Amino acid sequence: MRVSRNDSVAAANSKEKKSKEKTTKAKSNRGKPSREETQLHKSEEEAEEENFANNVKELLVDDDESQDDESLSDTEDGGSELDDEGSASSDNDQGSDDGDGNEGSESDQGSDDGDENEGSESDQGSDDGDENEGSEPDRGAEESDSSEDEVPQRNTVGDVPLEWYKDEKHIGYDIAGKKITKKDRQDKLASYLDNVDDSKNWLKIFDEYDDEEVEVTKEEANLIRNLLKGKAPHAEFDPYAPYVDWFKWDDAKHPLSNAPEPKRRFIPSKSEHKLVVKYARAIRKGLIKFDKQKEEPRFYMLWGDDSSSSEKTGHLSYIPAPKSKLPGHEESYNPSLEYIPTQEEINSYQLMDEEDRPQFIPKRFESLRSIPAYENAVKESFERCLDLYLCPRVRKKRINIDPESLKPKLPSRKDLRPYPVTCYLEYKGHKGAVVSISTEASGQWIASGSTDGTVRIWEVQTGRCLKIWEIGEAVHYVSWNPLHELPIVAVAAGRDVFLLNTGLGNEEVQGKVKELLHLDMPAASDDSGNVASSWSQDNQHGGIKLKHFKLRTLTICALTNWLRESKAILIHQLSKKVTQRLPFKLHGLPVSSVFHPTRSIIFAATKKHVRVYDLVKQKLIKKLETGLREVSSIAVHPAGDNIIVGSKEGKLCWFDMDLSSKAYKILRCHPKDITNVAFHRSYPLFASCSDDSTAYVFHGMVYSDLNENPLIVPLQILRGHASSNGRGVMDCKFHPRQPWLFTAGADSLIKLYCH
Amino acid sequence: MDMDADIDEKRIQARFVTKLKPPYQIPNTSLAIPANLTRLGLSTIVNSLLKNVNPEWESQPFDFLIDGELVRLSLDQFLLTKGISAEKILEIEYIKAVVPRTEEEPSLHEDWVSAVDGSCPRFILTGCYDSLGRIWKAAGECRHILEGHNDAITSVSIINPEGKESVTVATASKDQTLRLWKIGLEEDAYPERIRAFKTLRGHTDSVQTVAAQTSGSMICSGSWDCTINLWRTDESDAEGDQISIKKRKVKNKNEESQLQGEAFSTLVGHTQGVSSVVWPERDSVFSASLDHTIRRWDVETGKVLSNIYSGKAINCLHVGGEGSILIAAGGSDSILRVWDPRKPGTSAPVYQFSSHNSWISACKWHSKSLFHLVSASYDGKVMLWDLRTAWPLAVISSHEDKVLCADWWKGNSVVSGGADSKLCISSGISVQ
Repeated sequence: MRVSRNDSVAAANSKEKKSKEKTTKAKSNRGKPSREETQLHKSEEEAEEENFANNVKELLVDDDESQDDESLSDTEDGGSELDDEGSASSDNDQGSDDGDGNEGSESDQGSDDGDENEGSESDQGSDDGDENEGSEPDRGAEESDSSEDEVPQRNTVGDVPLEWYKDEKHIGYDIAGKKITKKDRQDKLASYLDNVDDSKNWLKIFDEYDDEEVEVTKEEANLIRNLLKGKAPHAEFDPYAPYVDWFKWDDAKHPLSNAPEPKRRFIPSKSEHKLVVKYARAIRKGLIKFDKQKEEPRFYMLWGDDSSSSEKTGHLSYIPAPKSKLPGHEESYNPSLEYIPTQEEINSYQLMDEEDRPQFIPKRFESLRSIPAYENAVKESFERCLDLYLCPRVRKKRINIDPESLKPKLPSRKDLRPYPVTCYLEYKGHKGAVVSISTEASGQWIASGSTDGTVRIWEVQTGRCLKIWEIGEAVHYVSWNPLHELPIVAVAAGRDVFLLNTGLGNEEVQGKVKELLHLDMPAASDDSGNVASSWSQDNQHGGIKLKHFKLRTLTICALTNWLRESKAILIHQLSKKVTQRLPFKLHGLPVSSVFHPTRSIIFAATKKHVRVYDLVKQKLIKKLETGLREVSSIAVHPAGDNIIVGSKEGKLCWFDMDLSSKAYKILRCHPKDITNVAFHRSYPLFASCSDDSTAYVFHGMVYSDLNENPLIVPLQILRGHASSNGRGVMDCKFHPRQPWLFTAGADSLIKLYCH
Repeated sequence: MDMDADIDEKRIQARFVTKLKPPYQIPNTSLAIPANLTRLGLSTIVNSLLKNVNPEWESQPFDFLIDGELVRLSLDQFLLTKGISAEKILEIEYIKAVVPRTEEEPSLHEDWVSAVDGSCPRFILTGCYDSLGRIWKAAGECRHILEGHNDAITSVSIINPEGKESVTVATASKDQTLRLWKIGLEEDAYPERIRAFKTLRGHTDSVQTVAAQTSGSMICSGSWDCTINLWRTDESDAEGDQISIKKRKVKNKNEESQLQGEAFSTLVGHTQGVSSVVWPERDSVFSASLDHTIRRWDVETGKVLSNIYSGKAINCLHVGGEGSILIAAGGSDSILRVWDPRKPGTSAPVYQFSSHNSWISACKWHSKSLFHLVSASYDGKVMLWDLRTAWPLAVISSHEDKVLCADWWKGNSVVSGGADSKLCISSGISVQ
């Protein structure tokens, strides 16, 4: 028989605790497992015992209620057994506490560790109750349990290996020193039958120490179950009970420790410093490396995409060369028939430009063997090399800008109404191209001059031709007197200027006009040596004729009845019948000129420049650089600070006199020569007409605020004139009061475009 | 077959009513008529119905009104656009179609016919660019020639069309004067030359238009000098005005003594030439100008009562129609506009007629009808309009050149003169 006792450590623990815990409750708790262990010693055959113990454990874990009930009922039987054993155990009571030598045997026991601990405590219990008498009373399961704590152990043999008593007839000695004899063993068969019949058998444990059988009560069973689960053994014990802080910190006058903070807490640790220095050295020497070196891929994608290959070279601006095209089906040695061009197609390749000709013509071969050498192989690879090495590849930065946003923000055309749009009236009658037109100040009449040698006056409202003068020579230019009170038309035809009385107005007006146009012959004694014109009365047309050597254009100024024409600039003063030559030197051939609308300033345009002269101070004010090849026409804004210049290359320049001598805006509108430009007198409109048979109407707003630049908006292209001999629209003039435009065409028509 | 069945299925219950006199009336029963009928189809139905009543009936065209609108589309389309239910019995009023039946022989002038007035049913007065005025008894029958202007006549006006013995007329000319003439109504075989009894001077530029007051004692005139002058026409109170013309025109031997008139009032306000004036009421004058405005003036005070801004230079103006207050005007575009000045706070036209192709040179309301207008345009066409439809009732294209003037005559004819020097009379227009 092996003796299973608690291990020495547990025993030592129990001794230490002995003094501290002496509450009865603790005793009772410890008492139970002690017995439970001891009973394991008893059975004669180990196999049986182990089997039994396992059985107990299993059942305990299973925790079946019904079996619990049964166990209760069975305890009484067990109790009887205990009685028997109790008598036996009392015999081998030896009364010694030390049983250290038995440690090794313990492992044979089927009991758990938890059980051992409890077992150790049970020792204490047994020690506590040393004084009690060993006589075992007859007791029921519950009673015996409670009474056991008071009752001292029967056997006083102490903690000695029970195998010492194996062969003895007693199990030890009781408190009086008498041997406790072993009980008679039941016959194995009988005990087995008992066990089979007894449903409480699984609760019974044989206590070898006391030589008795102990029955585990229900509480004890629960306790064991809890221990097996690793819980606190007592069901009442709450492991999560709120912590009670027994030490009242609030009332403490002093901290736990009144010692000052030690210095070492403030100074850096020397050992740590050493460690750091050591690491730093190691890093410096390269003994410690932080990042693992990347393994270079040993293979790369030969046919892969080259887009990421810039990573290979650290070089930022590296641009991979484009891959040459991979061969397709037609490059096969035996392509399908649809890839083979027909003979006609091959012939047609010969007609194509060399650049467009396909480089490769697919052919079929019977076998790979019969393929000839590729004649271009060297050439192509050479070119490829050239491309790779020599072709500069530049990454072009493309800026994505919405082209719409680059357009200047122009107001809508609808908001700029009225402006001439449609042609409603035509003035028919001329036989040749109408070269020049001019409107009367009130807008009631319009004069026109044509290459057929006639000057006509038309009624604007009805299109009726009022008057015709046969001049005889092709008319270059006509101009109404801007003064409404003196209806005089100046006509430049051939080399002459005619001043014609229109015959409009009542007798009073006619009287004035006739007086003005009357020429005293002696007064006109022209000293044509230095003045390039001569005045003479023209009785045929009822006006004055001025002879010139050469003539281009003329204008009438409102203020002083000055007439001007060029080849040098001459100013004819009608009121005095005097001709003056401007004392300025024109660098170049004068093309056109206009008077300032309010001041005595004249704008004279030569082929490249526009010069601004002050007539009163007799000096050059400004010279405007047009930058044009050949200026053809010029017009002044009614405010006088802006002029537009049309050129023979179809460009229109807007000059702001306050800004600079360079053009403020250059409008490229006409594909052909601009023949004339015009400003409206009251509406913010200007127009240009061209030999391409169109006239353009623009919105040209000049602000009185000097900070604001003029606003120029193209409005309308007026078509309708037919081209004749390469000439289109020869002249355009605005109606003085309405937003209407007159255009004179080489097709001998004058058209009126209305809003 | 199916198609026919479909068309047959679409029928509309309609009843024809009329306000015409008995020969035009038909029994007031409702008929089921095909929905796809147009004006012509409706007209044949009415004509056949009339034939049932009166076997000797001669077919004539009719126009049809549904809910006060003239039918110009096919019936089902018309109902669809107007949102009229086709389930109910449709009441269709038929009226005689306003179309000229006959085109009279054109009366030839020496020059462009610039003005015409047909307000007197007894004759037509025309003004011409040869500075003569003419009185036409009928087509091609010139009765009087008004001699005296030095420049083209731009406008004519009959002052008292109801005059018993003689009728006074006024002419305006580009020679900056207006002249008044008396026309005797006794029958004469040959054209009689008449001289003006009174010359009205005061404008400083071409006089563009003249209009007579309805009562007949005053006229107003508009000119290129931006003013409107008001003149008296009676000859009796011209005491101090009798000045001999001889002083001025010495050479003119057969100069008669003439009355000179001065304007008793001048309305100033337009900024550009006055193109047209009308004097429909006793104390207010309407004027249209090239400065894009139409103004109404108080004659007594000379103040502007109202001002309509049209956006276009206006050539012609007439007031009439419903309440004799609707303003019709045509200008430097091809749209004839009608304003209702009674609508407050708006200068938008209530009607716009845009079938012309060029400037509108004349527009006149019919004196009796509330709806009918005539307009003449530089595209050579004279059009008749009804306010109840946006399409022209009739287009008279007898002119070969610009039409410069047009007017109603005798209530059933349209007279028009143009740049082809012709005076055309289209008669037989039955306007109720």
